[in-house]
Amino acid sequence: MAYAYLFKYIIIGDTGVGKSCLLLQFTDKRFQPVHDLTIGVEFGARMITIDGKQIKLQIWDTAGQESFRSITRSYYRGAAGALLVYDITRRDTFNHLTTWLEDARQHSNSNMVIMLIGNKSDLESRREVKKEEGEAFAREHGLIFMETSAKTASNVEEAFINTAKEIYEKIQEGVFDINNEANGIKIGPQHPTTNSTLSGSQGGQHAGGGCC
Amino acid sequence: HNVAQRGVQVSDCLRLCSVHRKRRRRTTWMSPRNLEFEPLSTTALILEDRPANLPAKSLEETQRHKMEYDEMVAGAKRREMKEAQRKKRQMKERHRQEDIISNAMVVWNNEILPHWDNVYVSGTRRVRELWWQGLPPSVRGRVWSLAIGNELNITPELYEIFLSRAKEKWRSYSETSSVNDSESDGGASLADRESSLDLIKLDISRTFPSLFIFQKGGPYHDLLHSVLGAYTCYRPDIGYVQGMSFIAAVLILNLEEAEAFITFANLLNKPCQMAFFRVDHELMLKYFAAFEVFFEENLPRLFSHFQTNNLTPDLYLIDWIFTLYSKSLPLDVACRVWDVFCRDGEESLFRTGLGILRLFEEVLLQMDFIHIAQFLTRLPEDLQAHTLFTAMANTHMISRSRRWAQVFSALMKDVNKEMDKNSSPALRS
Repeated sequence: MAYAYLFKYIIIGDTGVGKSCLLLQFTDKRFQPVHDLTIGVEFGARMITIDGKQIKLQIWDTAGQESFRSITRSYYRGAAGALLVYDITRRDTFNHLTTWLEDARQHSNSNMVIMLIGNKSDLESRREVKKEEGEAFAREHGLIFMETSAKTASNVEEAFINTAKEIYEKIQEGVFDINNEANGIKIGPQHPTTNSTLSGSQGGQHAGGGCC
Repeated sequence: HNVAQRGVQVSDCLRLCSVHRKRRRRTTWMSPRNLEFEPLSTTALILEDRPANLPAKSLEETQRHKMEYDEMVAGAKRREMKEAQRKKRQMKERHRQEDIISNAMVVWNNEILPHWDNVYVSGTRRVRELWWQGLPPSVRGRVWSLAIGNELNITPELYEIFLSRAKEKWRSYSETSSVNDSESDGGASLADRESSLDLIKLDISRTFPSLFIFQKGGPYHDLLHSVLGAYTCYRPDIGYVQGMSFIAAVLILNLEEAEAFITFANLLNKPCQMAFFRVDHELMLKYFAAFEVFFEENLPRLFSHFQTNNLTPDLYLIDWIFTLYSKSLPLDVACRVWDVFCRDGEESLFRTGLGILRLFEEVLLQMDFIHIAQFLTRLPEDLQAHTLFTAMANTHMISRSRRWAQVFSALMKDVNKEMDKNSSPALRS
């Protein structure tokens, strides 16, 4: 299908906070209570419309365990947006946000839009992190913030779409150089039938071609 | 007695399955005989005249309808005959497979296992061939543990020691966490807890969730917990790393508890597994690079298609190698892959990967980056062992007359050279 832009997203955050479930809810509109564990990276894609323009989101869903950080780091390159997720019922996942943010800032494009997400908002009785704390953290670090529930689908659509809106605005303002694919944005194909037009924007992680 | 109990459960299950199968067999055998006279689905189709309140059919119309009716009945008959024949063939094939497995079981039990050391060392053609065809489930665990070996000299007693240490840790953890739950944040102790205890608990429920046996309340939940917990006490330098739960689970399905642990620890101690579970990025890149050498050699068109799409092997190989394909392939197919892994070592893991790429080459050539990435990280659930094994058999692990080990060690020499020159620019941090 033809699209005006392609944005690469990366979903990051501690293990078990619901990254894969958010992606599944966004792409397939369903919730899987027991989801397979993610090893390495998994992928999702969906078309959205912003300002009357078709935008294709290409989403990289990463493994959350600390040990995998060195692998995850190579996936930031070429991402236009990041969803940084914590679990409102597990304070430690909120406490680790700073290190995630450092990692993201260090390995990505400086214009990358970061959306902070407090997931599992349906589990109000088990809440350990107040909504205000999430808001304060986001304000302090210049992030957008939302609480979501991958289970009830509350705010899931909004989280992905608002991130895209922000990126889109940055394009309009000329902040992003859309001709530089390292920014994680690709202009849609002129001829929708060719496949090769996707190349370039996604891999991104090689230093010199050849090996991996 | 734990093991004996499990044995009983398993054999009960097998008996149930075979009863079920026999019943199904009988019903499918009945139908083809009846078919000749009375096609099942068409008995309800009756040719009738129009109701009395409507004008009657003309002779020509009646005849046409009669002909159409006959054709429909004949067509349905043909289809059902075909279907019956297909089922008969399928049944025959299944019987053939069952015969092969039971014959193989006799050979493994009587001829190979009693003389393991001689046979294994000599690695006769016949044994290798039998091995490739798939180990019979009843000897699978034993062959795996013999083939993986016990270089680490772990005894069942040592396992018990580490298990009781793990249990001690869990106890003290649950006591302290109930007292000061949300107060203690940050610090090494938390990181330690997170990496080993909480995470194991969290991940066990996410290990083969569709089987419903490792989840809380499931029959193997505690076993999986024990094996992983004992390992983190045995190797605190490595700890628990995601992906391990799948390996331990597959071993638990095939071996008794202590034996599963011993095999698990020895398996993770192999160079390739060690590189991955330590997340030694540099070394992992070498494995990927070696894989790409054979990828280009075997599937040049697909290789260049992947290159133009920037589809690097880490995107799919990490999941495949970490879990030894147990997460990405159907479990029965994964066990066949493990059989070959036990026979041929790490090289076979990359050969399996190439087999998958070969099997789906035509489809993948039509796809763009995101579709390939999605396809490879979620392989078709109906993937069949025999098609994969044909693709693997057609995959040659020789590149410019060099074998896997030679290609890999040549790449390792490059690293050393780069290090000597004090530069490693190509490696990602």
